[in-house]
Amino acid sequence: MNEVILELKNIHKKFGKNKIHQGINLTLHRGESLGLLGGSGTGKSVLLRSIIGLERIDEGEIFFKNNRIDQLSENKLTPFRIKISYSFQSGALFDSISVFENIAYPLFEHTKFSYSQIKDQVAEMLKLIDLQGKEELMPSDLSGGMQKRVGMARAMILNPEIILYDEPTAGLDPANTLNVVELMLKLKKKGLASIFVTHDIPSAIMLCDRIVVLHEGKIIFNDTPIKFQKSEDPIVRKFVLSSRE
Amino acid sequence: MINHITSKYYRLFKILRSYLISIGEVFDLFFETIQCTFSRPFYFSRLMEQINHIGYGSTSITVVMGVTTGLVMTLNFGYGLAKFGGTLYVPALVSLSLAREMAPLFTSLLVAGRVGSGIAAEIGAMNVTQQVDAIRALGTSPVRTLVVPRFWSLVISLPLLSSLSFGVGILGGMIVCKTEFDIIPGFYLYKVFSTVKFHDYMSGLVKSAVFAGIITILACYKGLKTRDGTKGVGLTTTWVVVTTSILILVTDFFISKIFLIIW
Ligand SMILES: Nc1ncnc2c1ncn2[C@@H]1O[C@H](COP(=O)(O)OP(=O)(O)O)[C@@H](O)[C@H]1O
Ligand SMILES: [Mg+2]
Repeated sequence: MNEVILELKNIHKKFGKNKIHQGINLTLHRGESLGLLGGSGTGKSVLLRSIIGLERIDEGEIFFKNNRIDQLSENKLTPFRIKISYSFQSGALFDSISVFENIAYPLFEHTKFSYSQIKDQVAEMLKLIDLQGKEELMPSDLSGGMQKRVGMARAMILNPEIILYDEPTAGLDPANTLNVVELMLKLKKKGLASIFVTHDIPSAIMLCDRIVVLHEGKIIFNDTPIKFQKSEDPIVRKFVLSSRE
Repeated sequence: MINHITSKYYRLFKILRSYLISIGEVFDLFFETIQCTFSRPFYFSRLMEQINHIGYGSTSITVVMGVTTGLVMTLNFGYGLAKFGGTLYVPALVSLSLAREMAPLFTSLLVAGRVGSGIAAEIGAMNVTQQVDAIRALGTSPVRTLVVPRFWSLVISLPLLSSLSFGVGILGGMIVCKTEFDIIPGFYLYKVFSTVKFHDYMSGLVKSAVFAGIITILACYKGLKTRDGTKGVGLTTTWVVVTTSILILVTDFFISKIFLIIW
């Protein structure tokens, strides 16, 4: 197995009296794709948000390659937010600027590339997400699936080491789902590690090296997709069966 | 019984505490804004864009408001003072109250409505659609990218807008003085410039800058705190307009008092 690049130790998180995570332990290795399953409201998004410090955990530790990152200030988190990028469920595109400006935003902020270099990089990225020549469109001109892909492009333009996908295929029709999954496969082949939060079990089984099931604040399953499909655990079985309906 | 009373006090205590925490957070945002102003990266183009949008965009309503204030005040002072044969004091009275109070106060209240609500709605909507989170997730700071440009653009623009409103207000006063009270423009302007002193102008400018800070910081603060989708955005906007207007009125009294003491 490759080296561990992300490690969560004993994560606890609650909102008021609402306990979300109650001792989560998780590791992610270089180049690994990890599928994170769990019912709605079990705290999958909160977990991803905690990793990049958008939420603060109450207890526990988060390490990125031996650097503890859960207690860092917003400023000190910046280099890690470049290495670990988050692809929002909604896309979260900046709606007042164009597709080009959205994808180029991290480049303008964190690199010293010239305008023409940035233009080339964005064009290349648009080709990768199958939206060539759409630079000048505004986010509102795009369909939901396109918005998600642009959001993913923005999240990976700085070549992160880990990408956190929050339900990238939710609400998409089969054709768009296929587009997104293909894109994720391309990135996986480039060696990007990822955590893939989803309800789309077939995609998860196809894409992931390991499946993790979150239930009532704890991880109740953590193994290969093959073992996942054969699991005897009643809660895990529900997930497996739901994909065969 | 005792339990009932303590729980009541406890609730009061909790409400009080949440207010104090909010006030603390507003000051935090203010200090962070100042801090971000003096450290890299700077967003000069965003500042210019905001000055254009917030400042320049408010000129027309400022002119209308300024002229009307000048006209109405002159008319009322004129008829009021005419009873005592004091029409000649009208230019001094009008210009002084315009410079010290009316121009900065009315302009700021107007701008609080136009710009405060705009900023709050814009940032609030960005927040509920996770665009603010996206700014953070991409390794940048919402304070630096959203708050700083808006803060400085209004702190720069509002004193200028107040000056504009003072200028056109004086003009309005001149027209009424000529047509209604037979005070010739030469005498009127002479009176204006000999009455209004440097510190009167300063008082108006300082007030406007402080009001600008109040408007932008509160609007940004509330925008960044917006929850619950579209409904939350609506509540935020209303809150910002009401709160900033009241705060402007209260602060106005204290700044006036301070200026009267130190000058
Ligand atoms: N900022 C917040 N404040 C309070 N509760 C929250 C907040 N964010 C999420 N929650 C709650 O945490 C729980 C988990 O949310 P989430 O991680 O979004 O679920 P999901 O697994 O569907 O992604 C939900 O019950 C949600 O209401
Ligand atoms: Mg979610």
